[in-house]
Amino acid sequence: MELILWAICFLIDLALLASTFYQILILTDLESDYINIYDTASRINYIVVPEFIVQGVLCAIFLVTWHWFMFLMTVPLTCYHVMLFLKQQHLFDVTEAFRFLSAEKKFRLIKLGFYLTMFAIVTARLALSAFEFLADADDAEHLF
Amino acid sequence: MGTENRGRPQFPARPAATPFAAAPPQNMMPFSSSGPVVGSEASGFRPTPPAAPHPTVPSSTPVVGSQASGFRSPPLARFNDPSVPPPASNIPPPVGPYQHFSASAFPSTAQAPLSRAPPLGQPLGQPPAPPASLRPQSQIPSVPMGSPPQSINFASPNVNVPYSSSDSTFPAARPNFQSSFPGYARMQSNADSQAPPLQYPFPPHQGGYAPAPPASSSPFLTHQGGYAPAPPVSSSPFLAHQGGYVPPTPVAAPAGLQSRDQMQHLGSGPPIGSIQGLLEDFSSLSIGSVPGSIDPGIDPKALPRPLDGDVEPKLFAEMYPMNCDPKYLRLTTSAIPNSQSLASRWHLPLGAVVCPLAEAPDGEEVPVVNFVSTGIIRCRRCRTYVNPFVTFTDAGRKWRCNICSLLNDVPGEYFAQLDATGRRIDLDQRPELTKGSVEFVAPTEYMMRPPMPPVYFFLIDVSTSAVRSGMIQVMAQTIRSCLDELPGYPRTQVGFITFDSAIHFYNLKSSLTQPQMMVVSDLDDIFLPLPDDLLVNLSESRSVVETFLDSLPSLFHDNVNVESAFGPALKAAFMVLSQLGGKLLIFQNTLPSLGVGRLKLRGDDLRVYGTDKEQTLRLPEDPFYKQMAAELTKYQIAVNVYAFSDKYTDIASLGTLAKYTGGQVYYYPSFQSAIHGEKLRHELTRDLTRETAWEAVMRIRCGKGVRFTSYHGNFMLRSTDLMALPAVDCDKAYAMQLSLEETLLTTQTVYFQVALLYTASCGERRIRVHTAAAPVVADLGEMYRQADAGAIVSLFSRLAIEKTLSHKLEDARNSVQLRIVKALKDYRNLYAVQHRLGGRMIYPESLKFLPLYGLAICRSTPLRGGYADASLDERCSAGYTIMTLPVKKLLKLLYPSLIRLDEYLLKASTQVDDFQNLDKRLPLAAENLDPRGLYLYDDGLRFVIWFGRALSPDVAMNLLGADFAAELSKVTLYEHDNEMSRKLIRILQKFRERDPSYYPLCHLVRQGEQPREGFLFLSNLVEDQIGGTNGYADWILQIHRQVQQNA
Repeated sequence: MELILWAICFLIDLALLASTFYQILILTDLESDYINIYDTASRINYIVVPEFIVQGVLCAIFLVTWHWFMFLMTVPLTCYHVMLFLKQQHLFDVTEAFRFLSAEKKFRLIKLGFYLTMFAIVTARLALSAFEFLADADDAEHLF
Repeated sequence: MGTENRGRPQFPARPAATPFAAAPPQNMMPFSSSGPVVGSEASGFRPTPPAAPHPTVPSSTPVVGSQASGFRSPPLARFNDPSVPPPASNIPPPVGPYQHFSASAFPSTAQAPLSRAPPLGQPLGQPPAPPASLRPQSQIPSVPMGSPPQSINFASPNVNVPYSSSDSTFPAARPNFQSSFPGYARMQSNADSQAPPLQYPFPPHQGGYAPAPPASSSPFLTHQGGYAPAPPVSSSPFLAHQGGYVPPTPVAAPAGLQSRDQMQHLGSGPPIGSIQGLLEDFSSLSIGSVPGSIDPGIDPKALPRPLDGDVEPKLFAEMYPMNCDPKYLRLTTSAIPNSQSLASRWHLPLGAVVCPLAEAPDGEEVPVVNFVSTGIIRCRRCRTYVNPFVTFTDAGRKWRCNICSLLNDVPGEYFAQLDATGRRIDLDQRPELTKGSVEFVAPTEYMMRPPMPPVYFFLIDVSTSAVRSGMIQVMAQTIRSCLDELPGYPRTQVGFITFDSAIHFYNLKSSLTQPQMMVVSDLDDIFLPLPDDLLVNLSESRSVVETFLDSLPSLFHDNVNVESAFGPALKAAFMVLSQLGGKLLIFQNTLPSLGVGRLKLRGDDLRVYGTDKEQTLRLPEDPFYKQMAAELTKYQIAVNVYAFSDKYTDIASLGTLAKYTGGQVYYYPSFQSAIHGEKLRHELTRDLTRETAWEAVMRIRCGKGVRFTSYHGNFMLRSTDLMALPAVDCDKAYAMQLSLEETLLTTQTVYFQVALLYTASCGERRIRVHTAAAPVVADLGEMYRQADAGAIVSLFSRLAIEKTLSHKLEDARNSVQLRIVKALKDYRNLYAVQHRLGGRMIYPESLKFLPLYGLAICRSTPLRGGYADASLDERCSAGYTIMTLPVKKLLKLLYPSLIRLDEYLLKASTQVDDFQNLDKRLPLAAENLDPRGLYLYDDGLRFVIWFGRALSPDVAMNLLGADFAAELSKVTLYEHDNEMSRKLIRILQKFRERDPSYYPLCHLVRQGEQPREGFLFLSNLVEDQIGGTNGYADWILQIHRQVQQNA
């Protein structure tokens, strides 16, 4: 059971990591003028809301499965996302793109770091639970 | 466009050699900062009239007495020997007038500042006998100090030493004058206004004014008579005075200064050491007060005021004669700091204000260069256009780029021999190598598509309020009358959409005799009923368009629809225009109420002010507007918004469309065609007929190590440094800030090149290039000396307005103040070590008006006060306007001119068009208003004519006809059949012609007519203290105190 949970978390986190990395890539391209702002905005805005939802789901999973530590770790970011969404500031603003470019990039870099930490923890827990699962299976065999 | 993109500057890492040897910026002569003072001095001197008529002296003796004694000799005695009790109170009046006739007019003026410390409580009404008056007068020259101070005083006017100690006493005495002689106070400052930093040395004016008889007209006649003839005496003192600045004054001067200084600085600190050094370095203002005195000790008359309007920095142009004209490009300081640490000590904005298409006077048009055979010569690496600062080497086969210092090959067709001095022999045939501003004809590689024709599309609200206000009528007539003048004949295209709760399209196909109207009422799914013919070529469909415009007012004459489906209509217009781009003129009368982009009434909430939600009122409410703006820019559509509502229309949201598309917002609150029709007519005509650049992009390149980081104005950035401007015209300016990328600049000169790639109305693709050079300096003082207050103020106001979008008004105002304080503090630190500054406030001569403009920014419509001080729509529209204004117009708006008219109108002048006297601007303070006068307030956007309470009824009757007693809000000014009225109308017309970009509408207001007077007029007198805000003197004091804290 635990193994399935951590495997799901692992996949979710991987997806979040990929999406954030992709956004940073686009913003860097924009900075060096390889992509125009209209494409930038449409590409980023396309994945912003799904990312928020996936992140919220991850947080909720931790809550319902009673993983206090992981829940407390993810909940601030979820709150921040909710706040951005309520203030209607979650989307990349085409008109003021360059004024907020560095801030947007910084925000995503921090998020990337956060997801990486999560990734490390989740991978460790996944490995641990996989090991336990296998060990349990062995034990069960021995019990027979 | 495409190549502009390709030409993105890649700042090279190669160290740059000095690209242009002829520019020795480092060792530039430290120019005397006192230059402008000389000018104002001169004007101050001229009026000193030897012939000031004072026949009325006997009759008005008391008045003269109080003044003359207040201003004249007593303190001399006191200063010479402080123990001597001041004989002041019986110093007799006519001293001033009589001194006019004495040969020693200047000694007397020179001493005047000394004497400004009269004993308090001067008996006002004491009538001294005229004979007695002569005695003290003759005493004056005999005072030992008499002659040395004379020369000193002129040598040191910008040190302002003389004012210090006397200041404290003077204002205390003044209210007396004011209360008993209200007229006097005004006249006095009238005189003062001519010599900003040094008013007091001219008490003879007061002598001239003083004998004002009660009748309102005559004092001004005498006064003017006094001014007009420049007395022969004035020339020689002026020369002497000038000499005082440049070479050190005669030997007597230092000694005299010293002693003077000791006398003057009784209250305000230790004597100053090296006065001579000070003269060159900075200007100062004495704020010293007598210790323990409550009085602030600041002399409101001595404060600097920009009564001559904006002065472009001359020195810059002289240093680099090949630079483009300052009307195109102004740097906030023409001395670029050489290191980041130096830049961080410069707390003012570092950047430029660019007005790429500024109107050039006849004969100075930007030359058009056509490189047909060679292609446009540009640097291979940084894409800089060839300009006067590039150098040719290798016998003319190579040229070195002045910006990145790369050696480029000269194309064969462009080759020319070099002469012995290394100049090309064909230099005089090459405007691009001699002029700072040129226009290149762009070949096809600068086009993404064939150049677009000029397109004007009109989106017109025809709901009932638009009909009732008469807007449609005026608009249709104006457009019809402009059809011949639209630029770009015969390619020009036009189209119309009207809307209320449905959207009406018009088929203007040329084969029709009458336009066909098609109504689309499905607002959720907009479609175009016709694929084309909604946008038609004007020359082909001329008669249909005319028929349409003629019938438009009657078509909706009895429309009772109150809804406004603005969002869907905008989308429809976008669909029509997206093929070509162009200019979209929106005429909006009500709050958008249907379909996408509908807006709520949100501006009337008093409680929001002062909270964190305050700024959201100034932001677009619905993201639809920003998205639409971005889309419109993408398709080269510029939006101009004309808003007319008498109720809240959410200009903040509507204006967003103009803001990001390079457009402009025109706001006519409570539009009534009878009152505002003329204004709309003029401004719409201007909008339709001025030369417009289409589908433009602009980029500013600069040398290695410097980079433009932020841009401010109405446009959208398409990449980090490329401004997308669907339409540009001469009335738009853009500001930008730069930062240093390298810790230390190795070059000696930094070059800036503004390039605007656009399609001219004639269908030619062109590149307008402005190039300017600025020296790199290592000295903060030099940066201040080269500062351009106009450009700084322009950037300041844009930054402040942007700040109001994310912060409270209060915060935005504070940040303006804080930056001024920081700048002055750093400036003070520069000199605090060498010179003992005491309680004086010091500032660079170049920035002497900065504090006042800072105050004016805080008092401007977008930033002033709180909820009640300006309606939200007015704030927002003024904010959008300020974001586009070129420097000169902005300064006029911030510190409008106030001119007294009645004397001019009453004068039976033979030369009717002599407006010289009218250029005499008064300080913007209520104390300058004489109830017997008629004043014109002109901020460039509107006129206010202020009728004094005691203005002679004749004047009012002549100007207003039978309405003169009515409430003035209902009266409009028009020409009556008499000389005076014709004169006034002519004056207004003259002022309007000076700046055709806006049509100042004339508001009439009578003194005491509240609340209109306060709202229209009094709240705009920036120097006054109104409703808890600072007056000018308080503001200076406040800044001074903050500068001194931890200085």
